[in-house]
Amino acid sequence: MAKAQQPLLYVFLAIPVTYLVALIGFPVFYNLVMSVQDVNLGNISSMIRPFIGLDNYREVIADPSFRKVFINSILFVGVNVVAQIVIGLSVALFFSREFPGAGLLRGLLLAAWMLPALVVGALWKWIFATEYGLANAALTSLGLVDAGVHWLSDPRIALTSVTIANIWFGMPFSMILIAAALIAIPRELYEAAALDGAGAVARFRYITLPSLTATLLAVACLVTIYTMRAFDLIYAMTQGGPLDASNVLPLLSYQFSFQQFKFGIGSAIGTFSFVIVFVVALVYVRTLKKEAVS
Amino acid sequence: MRSKRLSAGLLSVAAALSLVATTAMAAPKTVTLWHVFNLDTDMIYGGIEAFNKAQDEYRIEARVVPATSMVTELIKATATGSVPDLATLDNPVVASFSGQGTLTDLSPLVAKSEIVKPGLYFEGPWASAQWQGKTFGVPRDANTLALYYNADMFRAKGLDPDKPPRTWSELRAAAEKLRDPAKNVYGFGFSAIQAEEGVFQFLPFLTQAGGSIDKLDQPEATAALDFLVDMMKAGIISKDVINQRQYEVANTFMAGNTAIAFGGPWELPRMEKEAKFDWRLTLLPVKDDKNIAASALGGYVFVVPKGAKQPEGAFKFIEFMSDPKILNEGWKTGRLAPRTDVKVENPRWPQAYGIYREQMQSAKARGPHPQWPDISKALQTAIQEALTGAKPSAQALQDAAKKIQPILAKTPL
Amino acid sequence: MSVRIATAPRVGWPYTLIAICGVALYLFPIYWMFTSGLKTSAEIFANPPTLIPQNPTLEAFAHVFARENVLRYLRNSIAIAAPVTILTLVMGAMGAYAMSRLRNRLVDVALVTVLMLQVFPEALLATPMFIIFRALDILNTFAAVILATTSKTLAFALVVLRPMFRQVPIELEEASRVDGCNSWQTFWRIVLPLMRTPLIVVGTLAFVQAYGQFVYALTLMSDQELQPATVGIYSFVGAEYADWHRVMAFSSVFVAPVIILFLIMQRKIVAGLTAGALK
Repeated sequence: MAKAQQPLLYVFLAIPVTYLVALIGFPVFYNLVMSVQDVNLGNISSMIRPFIGLDNYREVIADPSFRKVFINSILFVGVNVVAQIVIGLSVALFFSREFPGAGLLRGLLLAAWMLPALVVGALWKWIFATEYGLANAALTSLGLVDAGVHWLSDPRIALTSVTIANIWFGMPFSMILIAAALIAIPRELYEAAALDGAGAVARFRYITLPSLTATLLAVACLVTIYTMRAFDLIYAMTQGGPLDASNVLPLLSYQFSFQQFKFGIGSAIGTFSFVIVFVVALVYVRTLKKEAVS
Repeated sequence: MRSKRLSAGLLSVAAALSLVATTAMAAPKTVTLWHVFNLDTDMIYGGIEAFNKAQDEYRIEARVVPATSMVTELIKATATGSVPDLATLDNPVVASFSGQGTLTDLSPLVAKSEIVKPGLYFEGPWASAQWQGKTFGVPRDANTLALYYNADMFRAKGLDPDKPPRTWSELRAAAEKLRDPAKNVYGFGFSAIQAEEGVFQFLPFLTQAGGSIDKLDQPEATAALDFLVDMMKAGIISKDVINQRQYEVANTFMAGNTAIAFGGPWELPRMEKEAKFDWRLTLLPVKDDKNIAASALGGYVFVVPKGAKQPEGAFKFIEFMSDPKILNEGWKTGRLAPRTDVKVENPRWPQAYGIYREQMQSAKARGPHPQWPDISKALQTAIQEALTGAKPSAQALQDAAKKIQPILAKTPL
Repeated sequence: MSVRIATAPRVGWPYTLIAICGVALYLFPIYWMFTSGLKTSAEIFANPPTLIPQNPTLEAFAHVFARENVLRYLRNSIAIAAPVTILTLVMGAMGAYAMSRLRNRLVDVALVTVLMLQVFPEALLATPMFIIFRALDILNTFAAVILATTSKTLAFALVVLRPMFRQVPIELEEASRVDGCNSWQTFWRIVLPLMRTPLIVVGTLAFVQAYGQFVYALTLMSDQELQPATVGIYSFVGAEYADWHRVMAFSSVFVAPVIILFLIMQRKIVAGLTAGALK
């Protein structure tokens, strides 16, 4: 790399990073401080509040719903990442065949991602309603189930239902990003491989996938963060119920902060998400290092 | 001595005059109001307009906050110290704010008021804004629950629509008869969602059974919850009520999928427009052996956050909105007056009005308690545990009692 | 360009048919949204559900247009989303380019920092953000919401654009420097044009994200006149009831302009794609 270019690059790097640190650094700090304080409505307006060490964290861990919600979050995020990438990649590959209207139809899919979470939540709540819902109407008319499935009111199924809804909501976003990366793969690579007699599977395995790795990692990272912090959809569908069966960390944090008025606990829960994402971010950056070496 | 008094009197008159003069000349002081009423037919819109016209000392500047965000926004405002002068809060949450000292004590203003007189208010609504002997809010409106029933379905199943169920056993018997799985009709519906609404709809049963929130480990509470659990097991109540908000229960009623449903007066405008059948209202049933009439109390309270710049102006508006003439308008959107001296003449939906007004007599306020959300959460969990079959009612309620008792031991109801 | 089409694998209309069916099925909930705007709220909850509105009424749409200042709401949404898009693209392109070219610890730290700052939901960040913008004295302006929202979209742009910049061959840059371009000119004249497609994609996605902004708008602007459309949509959901047919009607009106915009952009993306192929 030419040295002459470096100063400009550092300026380029500094601008957005400074912006983000300046704008979100204080808010994040504000929350971390609250997580080690005893915060209530009476003292929330001053930053000087009783310091209680890790009491909030202890209380969070002792809370019977926390463990359940923690596991829910991991499952919710994990399944979302895998499903959005696998489905997103398949759909993007399908649309990369240049048939008439491919671009238009692919673009239309993004409409799902444009809706406000409140609306998506309401729509899926209707689809999953036991009595008047479409899901059961479709399944029973196809003869797949005899009695209606209690998609959202059965604690064993609720998490699956909100996960399905969220995959539907987020997949087009992942798909579009993957599609943009697919477009950038030089066509000559495929043509050369085809001349060498490589089949479709081999071309996917040796050309498409390696070219996409960086983007797939980036998308996985984004989906992790997005699903880790989003709760509007679940809030609109189940409010986390029944019995926290579909609750996730950000929603639990919101409920503690804004419904139970236990701000310190809410922030402490936020810190747990923080730790999870920190691990994911570290893994992500490490894989990037490998990418740089190869 | 006498002349001194006289001159003092003159001085004060002069001062008063100059005050009048300056207020008359000065631009009106802005009173910011955050409210949640999104129906443009709500009485608050007419009230604001009339208030701004009637005097020029204050001007109300209103902001509609989406109802689900009101508490969140007020918390943020409290945290940043940028509060509105006046806000409307759902009554069970008022104590959480007042108990932590974040609301202005209105007692001195109420003591001087000609309009806001504690004796004129229904007990429940007034109590919901009190904390430790002080008044932290003035009820804006009130509501309570009653039974909606589908008279056409009653007739079709050979029940007399003029004799709706009056007791738990009659309710259950009627609901069982009305249930029609072939037509997707459930006999009875209520909201059991994991939220405050679920508690709101369960409390009437609890009180009717002779139980109370501080005695959830008693058999009365178990009887109340078992009554509902048994009906769900028998297929009279849909399992989906676990995830239905109140209006969603009302929707299933309006769509003809629920024959009898719990509901508040706020459903009336929609009911009138969309329920294409003979629907009627009746009082909530009583438990056969107890005969305790009971319902839960809902409604909004005007509060003045601490740090408000215009508390006097805010209170002037509260007084204005508490005028029976304005409160009379409330019923158009299904809001009852919180005052006993307001009686709507020739009300819209006269039958419903009569029922709800009678039911108001037995409507009990939730709390008031600063930790009501915690208490409520414990009960929500118990209701859901019992209805999903995760725990027997008695066990679920005992677990809830164990969470609630320490809270009440620290700060009694 | 014509050459390119001739050599493209001819999969043709059968694929189009499959795609139309698939997309239609996938977007069925959106059809549901639109038709729910034409239903009465009782029919929305009818059992069994009605695929086609039985008594379609434009009442909800009429209400949204007549009473709700829908145009003001949409204008506000766009007034927030457009500057966010530009800020995101400018800073995102700079940062991502730097991250793709620099290879040291600092970049790792920067990337992890950027990601970590994205963890907390807006609900928890809005209060301290309010404090910042009050100090800057820009509460109740679009600027506050734009700056706050960009903090979300910018991180996304950095993460997505970084690998895309890496695909630009470094030899091109070296060649341009040999031709006497300085580093800014290289970035501006050589690298950025090659990034047109990714930038359009990221810009579109950032726009959509900002268009759907709710929490920051609600908290940072108390002025009713400035609120974006999402706040209008949420305000139909009352404490005791929700006018779902109106929510759905408003929501349909809300997404329509963006879908149209996207379809226009889609043509550009295709154009960018073919331009890239010609190089």
